[in-house]
Amino acid sequence: MNKKTIAAGKFFARMGLLLITLVVMAGKASLAQQKKITGVVTNPVDNTPVVNASVMVKGTARGTTTDLKGRFTINAAGNERLIISAVGFQVREVAINGRDSLSVQLLLADQQLEGVVVTALGIRREERTLGYATTVVKGEQLTDATSGNWTDALSGKVPGLNLIRSNSGPTGSNKIILRGENNLTGDNEALIVVDGVIINQSSGRRNAIDGESTYGTGSDNMPADYGSGLNDINPEDIESVNVLTGPGAAALYGQRAANGAIIITTKSGRSKKKGLGITVNSNASIEQINRWPDMQYEYGQGLNGQAYYSFGASEDGPSTSSTSSAYGPRFEGQMFYQFDPVTQARGTERTPWVAYPHKIRKYFETGNTLTNTVSIDGGSDKTTARFSLTNVKNKWIIPNTGYNRNTVSMSVNSKVSDKLQISSKINYTNKWSDNLPGAGYGNQSIMYWFIFWQPNADLDWLKDYWVKGQEKRRILYPYSTFPENPYAVAYEFINRSNRHVVTGNVQATYQFTKELSLMLRTSMDLSYENRAQERPYDAGSKFPKGSYRIQSIFSQEASSDFLLKYEKEVSKDFKFSVSAGGSVLRNNYNREETRADSLTFPGVYTMANNAGPLISLPYKSKYGINSFYGIITTGFRDYLYIDLTSRQDWTSVLATPSRTTNSGFFYPSVNVSFIASDAFTLPAIIDFAKLRFSASGVGSGGNKVYLTAYNYTSAGSLFSGGLSNPSLLANPDLRPLRTITYEAGTDIKMYKGRLSLNLTVYAGTTKDQILERILDRSTGYTRMVVNAGKVQNRGIEIALGGTPVTSKNGLTWNTNIIFSSNRNRIAELADSSVVLRLGPVGGGQIVAKVGGSMGDLYGRGYLRAPDGQVVYDANTGVALLTEDVKYLGNVLPKWKLGISNDFKYKRFRLHVLFDAQYGGVAHSLMHYKMAEQGKLTKTLPGRYNGIIGNGVIMDGDGKYVPNNVIAMDIDQYYRSHFGIDNAEGSVFRTDFIKFREARLDYSLGNNALKKLGLQRATIGVYGRNLFIWSEWPMFDPEFGTLSGNDIVQGFEIGQFPSTRTMGVNIVVGF
Amino acid sequence: MNTDPNNTPNALPQQLLAPALVNTVHANMIRNRNFNNELMQVTVDLSDADGRVFRYEYRANWSDYLYNAWYSQLTNFRDLYNIASNEVTYNRSYMGIALICQSWIFSLLTDTYGDVPYFQANMGKEKIYEPAFDAQKDIYFDIFKKLEEANEHLSAGTAIEVTSDPVYNGNVNRWRRFGNSLYLRLLMRISGKAEVADTVIKKFQEIVQNNSKYPIMANNDESAILRWTGVSPYTSPFLTVREQDWRAPAIASFFIDNLRTWNDPRIDLSTYAVNGVNRWGIAPYQGGFWGVPSGYEPGTNPVKMSYFYSDAQTVSGAPARSLRTDPLTGQMLNYAEVQFILAEAAAKGWISGSAENYYNKGVQASITLWIPQWNTPVTDYLSAADMSWNDSETLEEKMEKIHLQKYYALFCCDLQQWFEYRRTGHPVLPKGPGLGNGGVMPARMSYPVYVQSTNPTNYKAAVAAQGPDVISTPVWWQKP
Repeated sequence: MNKKTIAAGKFFARMGLLLITLVVMAGKASLAQQKKITGVVTNPVDNTPVVNASVMVKGTARGTTTDLKGRFTINAAGNERLIISAVGFQVREVAINGRDSLSVQLLLADQQLEGVVVTALGIRREERTLGYATTVVKGEQLTDATSGNWTDALSGKVPGLNLIRSNSGPTGSNKIILRGENNLTGDNEALIVVDGVIINQSSGRRNAIDGESTYGTGSDNMPADYGSGLNDINPEDIESVNVLTGPGAAALYGQRAANGAIIITTKSGRSKKKGLGITVNSNASIEQINRWPDMQYEYGQGLNGQAYYSFGASEDGPSTSSTSSAYGPRFEGQMFYQFDPVTQARGTERTPWVAYPHKIRKYFETGNTLTNTVSIDGGSDKTTARFSLTNVKNKWIIPNTGYNRNTVSMSVNSKVSDKLQISSKINYTNKWSDNLPGAGYGNQSIMYWFIFWQPNADLDWLKDYWVKGQEKRRILYPYSTFPENPYAVAYEFINRSNRHVVTGNVQATYQFTKELSLMLRTSMDLSYENRAQERPYDAGSKFPKGSYRIQSIFSQEASSDFLLKYEKEVSKDFKFSVSAGGSVLRNNYNREETRADSLTFPGVYTMANNAGPLISLPYKSKYGINSFYGIITTGFRDYLYIDLTSRQDWTSVLATPSRTTNSGFFYPSVNVSFIASDAFTLPAIIDFAKLRFSASGVGSGGNKVYLTAYNYTSAGSLFSGGLSNPSLLANPDLRPLRTITYEAGTDIKMYKGRLSLNLTVYAGTTKDQILERILDRSTGYTRMVVNAGKVQNRGIEIALGGTPVTSKNGLTWNTNIIFSSNRNRIAELADSSVVLRLGPVGGGQIVAKVGGSMGDLYGRGYLRAPDGQVVYDANTGVALLTEDVKYLGNVLPKWKLGISNDFKYKRFRLHVLFDAQYGGVAHSLMHYKMAEQGKLTKTLPGRYNGIIGNGVIMDGDGKYVPNNVIAMDIDQYYRSHFGIDNAEGSVFRTDFIKFREARLDYSLGNNALKKLGLQRATIGVYGRNLFIWSEWPMFDPEFGTLSGNDIVQGFEIGQFPSTRTMGVNIVVGF
Repeated sequence: MNTDPNNTPNALPQQLLAPALVNTVHANMIRNRNFNNELMQVTVDLSDADGRVFRYEYRANWSDYLYNAWYSQLTNFRDLYNIASNEVTYNRSYMGIALICQSWIFSLLTDTYGDVPYFQANMGKEKIYEPAFDAQKDIYFDIFKKLEEANEHLSAGTAIEVTSDPVYNGNVNRWRRFGNSLYLRLLMRISGKAEVADTVIKKFQEIVQNNSKYPIMANNDESAILRWTGVSPYTSPFLTVREQDWRAPAIASFFIDNLRTWNDPRIDLSTYAVNGVNRWGIAPYQGGFWGVPSGYEPGTNPVKMSYFYSDAQTVSGAPARSLRTDPLTGQMLNYAEVQFILAEAAAKGWISGSAENYYNKGVQASITLWIPQWNTPVTDYLSAADMSWNDSETLEEKMEKIHLQKYYALFCCDLQQWFEYRRTGHPVLPKGPGLGNGGVMPARMSYPVYVQSTNPTNYKAAVAAQGPDVISTPVWWQKP
């Protein structure tokens, strides 16, 4: 070996001399010395060697091929580049960078390689050349611990990503916000792109049903979350998700990417694969509630510490059973007249006064989800294809709710000729549900009942939910008239949905010459959904005779684009490419709603059964965006890359019926990537060091139509031709939003890849945000569309990766830590304060003020002495409240942290992920209501004997002295703390630590696989959201609230319980 | 492309009028039931829980509903006026109607909240996003101007579309009478204010004396009432109140005791009953009509006795007659009220007519509005009830008599009972031991909390000018 090396050394030395001579003769001064370089070429998919691959030194005739183990040896200088190619794989160019040995992964046809990312417009770029932050989440990271909505799996994995969950049932949708919220109303979501198809505004659009609100105290239907197309993407089909957090990264996507972009690439077929290429993936999981409010079972229904109880009036006294409060008699086994479920009336005899501790929890069931996916892929040298079929069946934690989903997806990629390549991806999803739960706080919601139910009542009493003799006409509920029977809600208040979604694209690339290519692409996102809401007789004041409503929703977005690209390597040191493109986008939305809000026969849900006039509520919208854009990329000596982009958009939403000015806007970006480790000699421990910088401008007109012209709205179809002024004031002078963001960062890899750091800092200014401001109604309007002021955002995103332990075939431990923090300051506003959102109680509101930040929560709260102590009433001992609203905190968390650890030992793999957020607050409606009604243990102290609140009173001389007044009216005392007028009393921190994911895998070894004739087999058990540590008093501190088409933060309104998911997953490849 | 296909840029007065009227009366009825009736001891929503209106307890979130509803509809009435005064769509009657409705709603607003945005109100379209609050006095005097202008416009008698007007079915003369009657109501309301009394009384006299220039309501048919036909969209807003909730409040003893003592035909169970239910749909308790004393202390647990039937209940084998579906619950201003206003003016010596005559006509109209076939001579009824007019009584006694009867005439008329009580202290209501607010009738609603942030500067100015934003701060006309 030694001898050989020496001999080879001599040979190479000689060859080197010869080369130098040649170079000198050619007039090129290159002092680099050739040496022997060894390497291995592998397929990253299964880590198998690529045999017979050609390895060439770029620009020379030196070449070799790989052996059976994929290994090669070649002579080259440290500054030379290798070109590696193999049949069925993409050609790859690798810089030697002075290394002695190389490990090269080859990209299978249309497959992604480590280090190559999909950027805006579907352009694949080497990550090293990018001047902005991107985070890639691989498909398997999404399926480690799957949940009903795959986007949940992005939590804790992407710095700067904030998921806002609607928590509204099995198909609950999520909203993804990148880099903190600039904007609390309207358009603040990341753009979602699936294989080049933007899905936000068609199948991905959440759409509320008119009149449904989570604060539905007007006895309206409660909103079901019908989910969006994003939920319906099959995570098994996802190859990778690339998150472009900054607008610079997304600038090329145009106006809709002002809030960053999530680029999803689905799997394609692979050729040259052993076996049939069939993979079966089965997943079974259960879902349970992981957290409960702290409810009391010491005192029963009643007010003011009443000593007796009577269901209806009895000889014991008047009725005390109509109140919703539990400030009644203590459970001491006394005998009272109570509800008798057999007669559905007051019992004829007194029965023992007992509690039913935690029986309320029995209402909820264990949910389960069964997911089965079969995928087939394969191909020839010229064509690859993949087909997959998925079936999902879900039963949720609320009785009689759940959904089914079938997804079929197909991907074909064909190299028609050397010059023409055509590919297409088509995805069809059918999701249907016979019942989705209505969310929020209102007589029809489950959580409303949860709040109002009594500790002295047995859940079983509710199971026969019809009043005897009045079946289908009268619903039984023994207590206060406000809530509905929850079993009636589950089995009779039905929200149906059946949605068909087709998304797909067809793309052709023609390579005119080596330098010039043209890409043409057209994509479509089409969705059609039928929904129905059935309400029985006695469904509240709006529907004494039931209701039947149906909606048909057609939604379509089509876009076509082209990109002409010219790339040229001018010299070894300088190469560039110039691309120019354009796109046309059209969005159509059509909704037909018909309502029969009174039925002739109970329980018959047809339009022919309507008792009153049918109400028809049609709605249509249409908009378009036309764009031109250009990109110049340059590369200098493989260590300095500069990109320039520019784009001009024209959007119809900024036009008015009489003008089209304002509707176009232009924005540029510049991105610089500098590979310091290639430009300089850095200490040996540093493998790779990159500095990046990006400056970008983005404009946006939002995606809400018809905000620029004043229109009268129908006063309801019952008024023939009747009109009303709108409640939303249009803005004919609407301008585009402008964001300018500067971003700098570094990516460092050290200790042979065992330690990596990605750090990004950014600062941005958003001007003229388009938002809906809440107005004083005396202006004549509820809200108006404004271009509001100037908001500054700055923040930091860190991803730290390490491999503390690694040993061959032994233990490997990988750890990843992500951290992000965003600060936001309002620099200018049109008016002194702009109200963005109103909470349901206590004067709670989110207000923007100059110097403040987006998400500042205000409300009425405790009157406090100058030293901050709560002031109590000197007579009654109850807490005093301010007349004015005051600052109560900010609803946006200040930072987020995720820590994941992956251990591999032989064929076992263990993955655990914890994440945390800190620094935000929110108001809990459920807490207010449960505390006010004496349902929580925190309202136990002082019953019967009174309580002295911790604080001060004002004495006769106007001085504050410690409170010594015993409050005897105990429900009034707790109302003063937690009641409807005190927002502060129900504002809590939303900080949490969550045990987010855990998974243990075992994969069969090669021998076992061979015996079974399998390509791969893995079995795993996993859990998601296993534990939550938080001081939030209700279910999940990380909640969102459905609000029309949006999911918003800050006000919890009857949130469903949070759940943990545990499951088993088997993957078998043939 | 950004042209809205769902809505329309143009509106005609006849398209705007009916929805705006229905929506305004709807809001008035809801708060008539659960605010006015509770304060004014018509009903008692039995509970020991906190925030009971009948105990003068107030929750800040009660403020939003009427404020938002009234200003919303003012946008429509303001617009209606503008469109009707436009050359192409010129119609003086719609202009007049719009002015009357604006005056009516603004008076409700200022009587409820005190100083409110007026001159800059409903000008969001004109880019006034934070309107200044105006002094109640200025609001009143501008309303008077509007009513003068309305009277002029309506004197032209321009026809309007019959179907657009659910109140008078296109009878513009009746609108004119409504406007002038409203004028009297509002003049009377601020007449106790020394600084304006002379001016106001003079104007009052002028209206009463010059009937050809200022025609006022002359009979019950001319009463401004949005009659619920039961056919959509004119179904009673009370149908949005859940049946169980509708039946929940007890009738207050103050309300029912008088009617029982007077043997009032409106609660009569024989001659004027339908299927055993009296005219006002009040359920008897153990064969008689009994109420619960308002303002009782928590823990007293009074037994609910009489209450308002819901239409889903069955009495004598038929669905109960119920105010929930009654056509007459959408009252804006009725003829009886006008007669009581005149009775008060006569008793105070402003006008020459006989107070007794006005008083008797008021009582007669108050009953016949509900029971047109009532043919007992009103004097017989009054003497049997020991309520006959007596010229030798003191003004205070006369006022009590007028206002006790007027209280029943104002039944189902938004918050007028409350306003009149605040103005006159009549009828004298018994005070229960459980009352909050120091046992003093709330003087106003506080401003909606959100206005503190949506209109901060003007809100602060208004509070500085008027006094703390609490229910005990009297409005301008309430202060001496």
